[in-house]
This record gives sequence, C-alpha cells and structure tokens, in this order.
Amino acid sequence: METLQKVSEVTKTVKNKSRGGLEDKKDRNSQLNWWLVFGAVLLLTAWSRFHKVSEPDHVCWDETHFGKMGSWYINRTFFFDVHPPLGKMLIALSGYLTGYDGRFAFEKPGDKYESVNYVGMRVFCTFLGACIVPFAFIIVWEMTHSLTAATFSASFILCDVGILTLTRYILLDPILLFFVMGSVLGMIKFHSCKERAFSFSWWAWLVFTGVMITSAISVKFVGLFVVILVGIHTAADLWDVLGDLSKPISYTFKHFLARAVCLIFLPAVLYIIIFYIHLLVLSKSGNGDGFYSSAFQSQLEGNSLYNASMPREVAYGAVITLKNHRTGGGYLHSHWHLYPEGVGARQQQVTTYTHKDDNNLFLVKKYNAELVDDEDVEIVKNGDLIRLEHISTRRNIHSHREMAPISKKHYQVTGYGENGTGDANDVWKVVIVGGRDEEPVTTVSSKLKFIHYLQHCVLTSSGKQLPKWAYEQQEVSCNSNMRDKNALWNVEDNIFPKLPNVSFTVYAPSFLERFFESHAVMFQGNAGLKPKEGEVTSRPWQWPVNYRGQFFSGNSYRIYLLGNPVIWWGNVVFLATFLIIFACNSVREQRGYHDLPSVKESKHRMSSACGWLFLGWALHYVPFWAMGRVLYFHHYFPALLFSSMLTGIILNYMLESIPQFLPERLASSTYHWFIGVIFSVTIYSFYLFSPLTYGMSGPSASDPNSTMYGLRWMESWEF
Amino acid sequence: FDELHYGKYVSLYMKRTFFFDSHPPFGKQLIAAVAYLAGFDGQFKFDRIGSSYSEVVPLFALRLVPAVCGSLILPTTYHLMLELGLTQWTAALAGFLLLCDNAMLTQSRFILMESMLLLFALFGLLCILKFRRYHNHPYCLQWWLWLSLGAASLTCALCVKYVGFFSCCLGASVVGRDYWRLLSERQISDGAVLSIYLTIFYVHLAVLSHAGPHDSVMTSAFQASLEGGLASITRGQPLEVAHGSQITLRHSHGRTCWLHSHTHVYPIRYPDKRGSSHQQQVTCYSFKDVNNWWIVKRPRRNDLVVSQPVDAIRHGDVIQLVHGMTSRALNSHDVAAAMSPQNQEVSCYIDYNVSMPAQNLWRIDIINRDQVGDIWHTIESLVRLVHVNSSQALKFSGRQLPDWGFNQHEVVTDRILHQDDTVWNVEEHRYTKNEDQKDRERELVNAEMIPLRATTLSFWEKFIELQYKMLFANQENVQNHMYSSEPLEWPFMARGIAYWVSPHSNAQVHLLGNLVVWLSGSVSLVLYCTLLTFYLIRRRRQCYDLSPDTWHSFVVVGEVLLSGFLFHYVPYFFVERTLFLHHYLPAFTFKVLLTAALVEHLHRFLCETLSWRLALAVFKLLTLAWLVAVLVVFRRFSVLSYGTTPLSATDILRLRWRDSWDFILHRQ
Repeated sequence: METLQKVSEVTKTVKNKSRGGLEDKKDRNSQLNWWLVFGAVLLLTAWSRFHKVSEPDHVCWDETHFGKMGSWYINRTFFFDVHPPLGKMLIALSGYLTGYDGRFAFEKPGDKYESVNYVGMRVFCTFLGACIVPFAFIIVWEMTHSLTAATFSASFILCDVGILTLTRYILLDPILLFFVMGSVLGMIKFHSCKERAFSFSWWAWLVFTGVMITSAISVKFVGLFVVILVGIHTAADLWDVLGDLSKPISYTFKHFLARAVCLIFLPAVLYIIIFYIHLLVLSKSGNGDGFYSSAFQSQLEGNSLYNASMPREVAYGAVITLKNHRTGGGYLHSHWHLYPEGVGARQQQVTTYTHKDDNNLFLVKKYNAELVDDEDVEIVKNGDLIRLEHISTRRNIHSHREMAPISKKHYQVTGYGENGTGDANDVWKVVIVGGRDEEPVTTVSSKLKFIHYLQHCVLTSSGKQLPKWAYEQQEVSCNSNMRDKNALWNVEDNIFPKLPNVSFTVYAPSFLERFFESHAVMFQGNAGLKPKEGEVTSRPWQWPVNYRGQFFSGNSYRIYLLGNPVIWWGNVVFLATFLIIFACNSVREQRGYHDLPSVKESKHRMSSACGWLFLGWALHYVPFWAMGRVLYFHHYFPALLFSSMLTGIILNYMLESIPQFLPERLASSTYHWFIGVIFSVTIYSFYLFSPLTYGMSGPSASDPNSTMYGLRWMESWEF
Repeated sequence: FDELHYGKYVSLYMKRTFFFDSHPPFGKQLIAAVAYLAGFDGQFKFDRIGSSYSEVVPLFALRLVPAVCGSLILPTTYHLMLELGLTQWTAALAGFLLLCDNAMLTQSRFILMESMLLLFALFGLLCILKFRRYHNHPYCLQWWLWLSLGAASLTCALCVKYVGFFSCCLGASVVGRDYWRLLSERQISDGAVLSIYLTIFYVHLAVLSHAGPHDSVMTSAFQASLEGGLASITRGQPLEVAHGSQITLRHSHGRTCWLHSHTHVYPIRYPDKRGSSHQQQVTCYSFKDVNNWWIVKRPRRNDLVVSQPVDAIRHGDVIQLVHGMTSRALNSHDVAAAMSPQNQEVSCYIDYNVSMPAQNLWRIDIINRDQVGDIWHTIESLVRLVHVNSSQALKFSGRQLPDWGFNQHEVVTDRILHQDDTVWNVEEHRYTKNEDQKDRERELVNAEMIPLRATTLSFWEKFIELQYKMLFANQENVQNHMYSSEPLEWPFMARGIAYWVSPHSNAQVHLLGNLVVWLSGSVSLVLYCTLLTFYLIRRRRQCYDLSPDTWHSFVVVGEVLLSGFLFHYVPYFFVERTLFLHHYLPAFTFKVLLTAALVEHLHRFLCETLSWRLALAVFKLLTLAWLVAVLVVFRRFSVLSYGTTPLSATDILRLRWRDSWDFILHRQ
C-alpha cells in the first residue's frame, strides 16, 4: 500500500502543475516525488522478476532450443535457425561469462539441470526483461509529463503475469522485448531533445536509437516492425523541421543527414558486423550444414567438403552426387524399394534425401554407349545427352508419362533397367543455366538442369514429403514447366581418379555471399514453418482476449504462460475507448468547436502520445493476420507493451477530464478513489494469478480441490 | 483457358443444376441470361481447353456480354476523366490507351468476368463523382439518382467478383472524404450532417439487400439436406440403441450421407469384365430418404420388436442390420467392390442358392466409449461396424457409382480399420412396435415426412452458408500453375497467359498487354509519386510552383486514381493463392488513367511555368511519337489477341521480346 501513498503525492504534483505553480520549491518537491515513485517501481520490478528466478531447475519450453543454440556458440558448432543470431549470441556470451561450459545437451523440456551453471543465463535474460518496466515508465513520462500516467503504465506491465513469465527464462523474447522498448525509449528521448539539436545528448540518443533498432531486428525479424515505427516517427520529425521556415533548407538537410547516418547507415553496418561475428564464431561443422549450399559447407571445419579436393570438371565415368540447388534441398537419392501399387509404375523409388549416404552416388554415362575403361577422358559439356546410373542398384534415372506421387501434374521419376541398361526414357539433356554452348560441367559451381529428352520435362524436387513407404524422404518428379525454380542441381562430390584433383578452396564464398545465403535460408525457413496437418495453432484474434496460454513447464512444478486477464481485457477496452475518443475529438475539431487552451493542450498531448503508441500496437499486431506461418501466443507480447502504455495514458486522461463535469468537492475525492481502486485491482489480480508464473503444484485447476479452481475464468485455459 | 470454367457454369445454369464456385454469381447470371435468350441448351460440356465448339453453341451470344461490357468501358472512362476535371483531349487519350491495350482486348473477347467487373467498377465511380458535384444542394433528384446508381453499380461489381470489394472501398473513401469536408462547414446544422451520413449508409444497404436475391436463382436445386433441422428431428427420440431399433446411420466425418439401400441390384458384369454378386445395392446417399432406415437385430432373435426391458446393444456385441423397406440384411463377402476393386463389396443379401452363404454379422465397435460409455447411444456414439467373417470395417469409399447406382456413393469394407471414413453414427432413431412388415413400412414412410419439412432452409440461411463457403474456398486452392505470376511481376508484364492455341497452326491467343502502355503506365506511376512528394516538400517550404487550379486538379486526380490503383493492387500481396496476370487489370486501368492525367498535367505545367514555344512543341511531338509507338505495338501483337492469323514459328519467336514470355510452339 506504499504505492497508494505515492499516488496521493503524485496527484498533488499534478494539481500543482495544472495551477501553473512553477516556483522553485514545488519544482524540487515534484522532482523528489518523481524519484520516489521511480525508485519504488524499480524495487518492485527487481523483487517480482528475480524472485525464485532459478526455479524450476529443469529445462522449460523453448529453453531447449535457445539453450542448445547457446551451447553451440560456445562449442563453435554450426547450426541453422530461422532467427537472426544476436539473441542467441548474447545468451551464449552471458553463459560463457558466468562459467557455463556448453556441455549440457538441453535435449527436451523437463530435463534436470543438475550441476549445470544455468542461472547466469537466466539472470541475464531476466535482467533484460526487467528493464522493460522502467523503460515504460520513462517513455510515458516523456510523452505526457504526467506521473500518474507513467505509474499506471509501468504498473500494468509490472503486474502482468504473462510478461513476467515470458521474461524469466532463457528465451529470445526477453531480449527482443528489451530492444523493442529500448528503441522506443531512444526515439522518444531523442524527440524531447529537439530543442537542443546537435547537442551531445541529442547525438547520444540518436545513436542509442540506431543501436537499439539494429539489435531488435537482429534478435528476431519481428524487430522490423519497431524499425518501421521509428522510421515513420523520424519522417514525421523531419516534416516538422522542414516546416520551420525560420531555418534555411540546408538546416533540414543537415538533420536528414544526421538521421540517415545514425538510423540507416550505422544500423546496416552493425547488422553486418553481427553476422560477421556469427559466421566467424561458428566455424565447425554441425547439424545445420545440409541447409546450405555445397560452397558454403566447404568453409566448415569437419565437413566432408572442408579442404576437400576433387576434379574440377565432370567427366564421363565419374561418380557424383547431385544436390538440389533450392536452399535446404537434398541429394538425389534412390534405393532398392519400389513405388507401392497404385502410385505410378511399380519401379524403383527416386527421392531426395538431406543426409549424406552411399545411395546418393550416381555414375555419369553417355546416352548411347557403355563405358570402356581404356577410353580417353571426355568431359561432360553443356547440352550433352547423358544417363545417370545409380551405383548401388545399377538402375538408370528414368521418367515416363505416369503421375508423380504427390505433384499430380508432374511425371514420375523412377530407377529403371538392369545392370545399367534401360531404355530411351533414361536419356537426359544437361543444361548449364546461363552457360555457353559446349561449356564444360564443373563441380559445385555449375547450376545444372536435367531435361528429359523424350518427355520434355525437367528433373525437379518439389520439396514435398512422401509418405511412409518412401521413408518420408522428399519427392522427385519431372515437371513439364521448364521454369520450375526447384529444378536446379549442382554436382557436389565428384570421384574420378583419371583427372587431377584441385583444392576446393577456389570455390570459397566471400563473406557477403555467405551473408546473403544465410538470409535466403532463414527466410525460406520462416516461410516453411507451415502448420502441420491437425496441429492446433494459435490465431491472432485469440491473443488480445487472452484466449489460450502456453505451458512452460509441466508435471509437479507447473508454469503456464497466460496474461493477467484483468490487464489484458482492460487493454482491449481502452484501445476501443481511445479510438472513440479520438474520433469524437476529430469530429469536434472538424466542426470547429473551440476548447479552452489548457484542455486543448492536454487533449493534443494525449492524442499524439496515444497515436504513436496505437501505431506501435497496430504495427506489431496487424501483420500477423497476413502471415501464413505458424503463430504462437507469445508473438503478441511486443504489441501488448504498447497497448499497456496506451491504457495508462488513456486512463489518466479520463481521470483528469471526468472530474471536470463533477462539482468541485466531489471531483477531488473521485479522482483519488479511482486511482486507489485501479491500483488495488491491478495488484490484487497480480497476487491472484502469480502462481502461474512462480509455479503451481498439486492438482490441476479443473479439479475443485485446487487453489486455482476459482481462477479458471475461461474454459480454454489449461492450467 | 478460364472460359472452360465460366462456360461450364453457364451451361449448368441452363440445366438449373446446383454448382459451387468461389466467385459470386452475378456475372455468370448475366451471361447465362443472354445465352438463354439465344437458345443455348447447356448441352455442351466445356471439357478441355482447346476443344472446338460444336454447332449448337451460340458462341456469339455467350461472348456478347463480356464484349459489350468491354466496349462500354471506353466511353465510361472518357466520362470519368471529364468528371475529374480534365480536358477532352486527355479523356480521349485515356480512352485511346485503353483501346490499344491487347490485354483488355483479349480479356473482353471471351467468356470471362473481368470486363464486366471493370465496367461496373468504373461506372460506379463515375456516378459517385457525379454525385459529388451536387454536394452543394443535397437531396435534389440528381443527388439521389447518382448516389443510388453509384452504390448499385459498385455492388454489382462486388457481385461479379469479390475484387469488386476494393472498388466499393474506393467509392466509400471518396464519399467519406467528401463528407469529412462537409463536416467543416459550420452553416449546416449537426442534425443535417448526421442525416446525410445515415442516408449514405441507408442507400448502400438498401441496394445491397436488393442485389442479394440474385443468388436465389442458383438455389433452385439446392436440396434441403443441410444440418439445419437436426435438432427438430432428434428431439424426443430414445437414447439407447437396442434390438429392434429403427435407425439411420450417418457417415460421421467428411461428406454428409446416410447408409442406404434400394431394390436395385449390382449389375452382373462391370464394364471392365469383372463380375459382381448381383445382389441388392448398398450405397451412401446424401439426402434424407425412406430407404435410409435400418433395423438393428440380434442374430439369435427372430422378432423385430423392442421388448421391455430394452435389450441395449453394447460395445463388442454382434448384430445384424436389416434394411427397413426390403427386410434384407446388410452383408459383405469376398467380391471386389464396384469402384474400388481392392475392397470388398457390401450388399443386402439375396439368397440365390449359389453356395454363397450370407455373411451378415457385424460387430459394434464404439470408438469414443471413454466419453459416452459402453452402450450404443444415438448421435453421440461413434461406431465402427466390423464385419465378423473378414474383420474388415464398413467404409465410405468416396467414389461415386455410375448410372446403375444412381450416382450415389459407394460403400465397401476395408482392411484398415482406423480411418475417418469407417466411422458412423446413428442419427434418427425409433423403437419398432409392430411385428407386421406392412405396418412397419407404413410407419417408416409416414415418419419420414416430418424431417423433410423441418430442413427447408430460408433464403438467408442458404445465402450465409454459401458466402461462408465461398470465402473459405477462396483461401484454399494454393497450387503452382504454369502461367501463374507474382504481383511484383505485373507492372513489368513479365509473364503472359496462354489462352488457346490452334491445333493446326501456331495461331494462338495469349493474354499479353501492350508493352508500351504498360511500361509507360509504370513510369508515370513513379513519376507521379515523385512529383507529388516534390510538390509537397516545396509547399511545406511555402513555395507554390503551381497555380491553385492546377494543384487542385493534380491532387484530385491522385486522390481518385492513385488510391484506386493502390486499392486494387496492394491487397494481392497478402493473398495466398494462385495469381494470374488478369488479376492486375483493374489496377492497370487506374494506372492508365493516371498516365493520361499526368500527360495533361505536364502539358499544363509546361504552358504555365516555362512558356517556351519550343518545349511545348517538343513535348507534343514526343507525345505523338509515343502514341504512334503504342499503335504500332498494338498492331503487331493483335495477332495474339485475335488468334485468327496462322503464324509461323519465326513469327512467334520474333514477337517474343522477353525470355519470360512463354508462347506455345508446335514441335515439328
């Protein structure tokens, strides 16, 4: 109830301000108040966040991924993830500094940590997550200069069990939320320095914003939305500067240049540096290799292509493997098993397979002649007709007018023939994409298309998974649409003793090439996160209403990610209220109603602050509606931060304007009553739902004996 | 190409057969109406792209409506441009550019929807602009006329294709902006403002609700077979299925149908020379019918009456199912099924004395007995009927029987027990009271009458269900098509669509715009945006380069045409389905109009600020040269739009200005 006392003090200051009392003493008094409230917020934040931070002592939810990736950084093993690297690098760094050795496997949620030094990483993430609350306080303060609004906003974020749960574990989200809030903080602080343009603090905040937006986007691509927000804000700022006719146009240009350097150039450089470090650190081959091209893999220690040497050109009689050039594509593969009945002709299966295997080896033969040993070496050239014989089964790659198993419009590709003798349907024409006539086919660097000579279709891998009968490898088919983007292949291994081997380092991609390739792979990975058949996914409409949470930890010590329903539902209501108030005010203005200057001022301040926060909310929420990938509940949290701050400001605005309609005597007490009620409801709801984040034990809430029984307000909550 | 689909739909209208399409019906109805007047009987099948039309098809009539609409677009554009405050020259220029565009030409010559959509959208916009002119004296006759015409026309656009929704948005935003300006005029009282607001909405809704009934045409064959009346049927029926229960068995997951049998038998031999058992057919029928009734019977008891206490069937019990109307038992045996030879046939047993004993015992396997308990319950219990002799489960195979099976769905037994299609549940249920077979039949026939009445849906219910399904279906069909393209490729016209190629020569129809028009459109779009930014920045610095008049017209043009372009283009980036070049046409039209407007603006700008005669002359010359280029390109590519001239391979290759244009060539 300490807060309540603070609040009454706060309100005094507010009233002082409205009376326009600007004497020194009062000023100092209000400053003291500000620091007192801020201190209280800090204390409460620290207490709530670090309470029981080391529990539960087992791997929770996605800690299994991000902890594992942290270990990989420490071990310098290459891996693939759909998110950019900064978040995981920070986790690894914190683990490294606090003595974690990267040995723990993080195999699945629920594994006990035992003697592993995991607390360092947890504390680091929690610390970043804790910074959100003071950030929110300062942002709202800078936007409104109202202590009540700032305290409201901070307390809504402080008391939300959802944010609390999400920011206490080794996850990317606390880091992302920290950087998102940091960007907004920098943006607002920078804006409030506009009177002192080009001063030290002005530059400092500008650079701070630049660093923060880079970091946000290099943790997760969702950070892009905050970059857009900052971009729009900057453009609006510049527009104001442009409208100031007392300054010459070169002044605007100077402003523009400063922002361009700090918000475009600097972030771009930083972003590239982060990737540079990422690729530098991860130098050993790991399980992510297969997603990348052959040239990329040759850079990884321990990969079979590392320091490998093989003939530069492909000759008839060479044994090769063919890798699909699509990012993450597999190797052309065949095995003894036949296509099942009812799926095209009952011939041998041909698939792509992402792992290295002896069944990926093929022999290159001329279309019309078997190989004779004492022949001269002849190189395969662009436009040649060849046959490909599978080494272990001695069947040729073959296609005919039968439907492919999954892509019904393509032709089936099979292994056909006995001991390397098949029929005319085994003939393929090799085409080097963008190659000259008669250009020799080279290992790794040539992008090849195989065009079926008779059916006029192109060998392709659709990337679709075949059913169990093909061991869930990927489909290979022949597409009569020659523009198929997946129809490119490159030769990866090339075994041919008659030609001299050259070292593979000649193909080494430069850093920039690797940088772009990692991005291509990441984007594809992101787009590929489609919901599986029958999987329950979370839909964007469910988020603001707090429809369903997410289990972090099961069994005896249960933790459930769920927002504080009082705050969440309040947020939705106040978002709507804001829109209504905004519409009313605009119509009134358009109709030309005049308000008192003071009222006008407060209205203006409120709507500009709320406008920006609303934009932030919309930018972080609306795009999810258009996304086809798998969505999760925790994607809403950046938007939630904006909406919580907005709620604080709107509440304060309403509390200040409603008493105007009441008699003097009632007004003051109503105001205080409301503030008291709001704070106590928030804190009490936090108290009620805090077991969700600090851990529940005993029977589940659907059981009447449970302590949480009465709190299961919605059927869909599963705790 | 797509004529295949739309043509088929039109002929389905002629036969009054219900069909389902993801687009609203208005466009197809228009075509169907004209075709009906021309005496088209809908017998042509529209099977394959490229098959030639037979004599009976009134091709002219079918293609008349799109062609007329396509031609009417030009005068509409002309008026639209005039209404935007541009000169006649500009309006004519816009018309000329559209006239010389091969894509518009091609698209409006076939049985396709785009030209109608465009006409309605543009006409609606024109009306809205005309309506705007009367904003000084509201509630006059013209004011009402134009407003309602505009709303009606835009709604028609919506009824042709859902893309029309964007045109509606455009119209609404124009009206909304106007209204916003109106707000600031203080002399109008608050009440008047509100009433105008309401009027606009009222007109829109009124028109909408009248446009709706178009849908009723298509529902004529829409049998009342939907789930709507289920509650009224099942009220008051007994819960536990027992010996002697009369039940209907519904296929629970997927397609709604009921286990059915009738007095007809399987044909002795199928067309592929396989033999059948020649016994009574068992099918799955999608409509309520008296033949859907079955009676549950314990194998050892001979009567069919429910005794007291009720002899309830439990999980694992073995029963027989007797068909209510024919009193024959459900049977399966080792004979290949009609359509799925890998499965066993299911029939109602007729004893032909051919040493083929009845195998009519079925074990009840209640799948969800954890929830509903061991006793077989109506509706709630999901059961699998396992054939005792062969341990196979009764299954809905999803295939349709040919004419001899009245196109009902095939029922078989399958070795794989655990699949959705083997799950059934009891829907309607009654206890048998009469021993006599005649009485029982009479009872069944009488009882059947009740549900029929309850399941007729009102128009609104059907309407809503259809809308829902259309939107849903719209989201589903994502696949790769050979001629599909990405929104980003459209402004540069990277891909065309092959519509048709003659089987004898290389004459072909290929949807491809006029390259000059498309590219100049894209250039002018960029130019307009740049100019707009430039002027805005200059004005912000209080530098007024343009006279107020010119500025005003510049802004109005942008407001309508640029936002029109964006409204019709940007949403495609968020659509997850196969997209084609013709989806770009509405946006393209706005782009072309913008080009014409920009030309006028440049002209005026040159006249006003740089009053050099020379510059003006050069500008005019350039414009002329540009127009000539447009005309030349149009003529060269018109062979691909009309598709009547036989072309040699080299001709085609000469037209292939870009590598990405895939014309079809016959191989020698």
